Amino acid sequence: MRNARQTRCFFRFLLPVVLMAASAGLMQCSKKAAENGRFKVALLSPGPISDAGWNAAAYEGLMLIQKQLDAEISQIETKTPSEFEEAFRDYARRGFHLVFGHGFEFQDAAAAVAPDFPKTVFITTSGNTVRDNVSPMVFELEQATYLAGMLAALMSRTGKLGAVGGMEIPPVASTFAAFEAGAKAVNPQVQVLVSYIGNWEDVGAARQAALALIDRGCDFLIHNADAAAAGVLQAAAERDVYVFGTNKNQNHLDPQHVIASCVSHIPQAYVEMARIVQSGTFDPKIYRLGMKEGVVDFVINPELRDRIPAEIMAKIDEARQNILSGEIIVPSKQ
Amino acid sequence: MDLNLIESFLAAGVALATPLLFAALGELLMEKSGVIDIALEGKMLAAAFFAVLVAYWTQSPALGLLAGMVAAVVLALLFAFFVLYLQVDQIIIGAGMNMLALGLTGVLYRELFGMTGQTITVPTFSAWPVPLLRHLPVLGRSLFQQNILVYLALLSVGLVAFLLRRTRFGLYLRAVGDSPAAADAAGVHVPRIRLLAILLGGLACGLAGAFLSIAHANTFVEGMTAGRGFIALAIVIFARWNPIGAFFIALLFGLASALQFQFQAFGVALPYQIVLMLPYILTLVVAALMGLRATPPQALARPYFRE
Repeated sequence: MRNARQTRCFFRFLLPVVLMAASAGLMQCSKKAAENGRFKVALLSPGPISDAGWNAAAYEGLMLIQKQLDAEISQIETKTPSEFEEAFRDYARRGFHLVFGHGFEFQDAAAAVAPDFPKTVFITTSGNTVRDNVSPMVFELEQATYLAGMLAALMSRTGKLGAVGGMEIPPVASTFAAFEAGAKAVNPQVQVLVSYIGNWEDVGAARQAALALIDRGCDFLIHNADAAAAGVLQAAAERDVYVFGTNKNQNHLDPQHVIASCVSHIPQAYVEMARIVQSGTFDPKIYRLGMKEGVVDFVINPELRDRIPAEIMAKIDEARQNILSGEIIVPSKQ
Repeated sequence: MDLNLIESFLAAGVALATPLLFAALGELLMEKSGVIDIALEGKMLAAAFFAVLVAYWTQSPALGLLAGMVAAVVLALLFAFFVLYLQVDQIIIGAGMNMLALGLTGVLYRELFGMTGQTITVPTFSAWPVPLLRHLPVLGRSLFQQNILVYLALLSVGLVAFLLRRTRFGLYLRAVGDSPAAADAAGVHVPRIRLLAILLGGLACGLAGAFLSIAHANTFVEGMTAGRGFIALAIVIFARWNPIGAFFIALLFGLASALQFQFQAFGVALPYQIVLMLPYILTLVVAALMGLRATPPQALARPYFRE
């Protein structure tokens, strides 16, 4: 009897702890530590790496670093500024040479932690904070969204284009501003309506936001909402309007509606950055990577290419050349 | 504002309110029996995941819905094991189960669909227009051309109200939630009633989660419930444990969310964060104005130890 009660007591207090520990463990599948001396690279992602977009691209970069530079890697999903700082600190303490914070929102935490760990380099993807061992690498995705804006404005029947964003952070707002600039460059009358959902995961909200834009007459949509973007693609398919993919090549996700993708070759940029740090040639500055560096691209969906009239295609190609040659400077708010 | 926009605004509001309503009704039943379950979010997420998974494999939304409900009920059973048999603190177990569901669905999703994910599209419940009623002006399109789950949610309001007020089970439920010792003395098996309430709650969360993934968003994304489980918790309290009240507050919240997207689409010159606050503020204001005094079930969140 007494024994039974003790067992029950054990279950009552220990099992919940075990349950919680196990689930916390499930949430971060970080690779186990290996031998010393290897180049160690870590990634802090602001969302699930299974989003087939922004976070997925960073994780692919990390995998490439592991393969090409024979590095030891680790990844963690972090949501709040205090988690950012804690994770940066943890990796630096464990002797990681390079830690990526994948987004604009990581720069304050990186700057706060960096002075304590001069041997670790902190790279934030987008941002403008530079310290001795902190640098942002900025993808000039605006160059691609500018072309998307042109294409949309040239093809739109309603003269209204819609954009759905996760949160209004500078790298997102900036891609939308460039989209609008591209659209207005070919048709000053065109209207760009922007809607934010306030997070990066709520697919349902993204769908409703997109539907509301379509109801207002938008016949081209662009998104920058990471995982939630699935809702935008969904809405586009439902109402049969065109949509642009962003960050990764998303043309294959819905070949009948994704007319083109604004692509950052984030994985390649990650490898380049890691190479720089590994070889000791790191120099604190803002690393700008755009079309010229081969990191940003605007990829038309081959299945829909024949729906784009030749003269419009020619205008896009011309603008692309002008961006490469520096004749068109795409506005950037970053 | 033309009629078309009003219709799509109302339709969006009703669709956004549906998962909240399901989850809130489930929570209401549980709380009435004296059990507080903050793991609505986790159960919805698990249901959303398994609904998509099975709908994807079998190409049948009905089987997906079933799978979602089963997943949520299994989690509810686990919850019941902890809170009824082991009598662990309900809040702690709820928090743990939310994490469990987030981690579990994430790991399984990445195992099955690749580490970096893909957009999976599943067959969904299509709209089922109600004969005759669908021709009503405005309301016809917004309310009576929805999918079957929306009607089920509306029906559930009456069902839960009836269950609570007009059936013996409802009487037992309320008794167990207010004074388990007295109910016990009167011959009511307290854990059994609470178990039933928890299972019904799980079923409701299953409907809520499955609705989100296979009748609304039509895909699964990690963490896609985005806090709806907690909103549902708040709805129950704002509604003072009244199913009819829960219906109105869920609807208000859904409509306010839909309005907020219309606002943004209109290009209203307000910082979007303010517009995003709209549903929360409106709900708060209404709850404050209603000012009804009601006491929560007396034995809420307290395990029952038989003397």
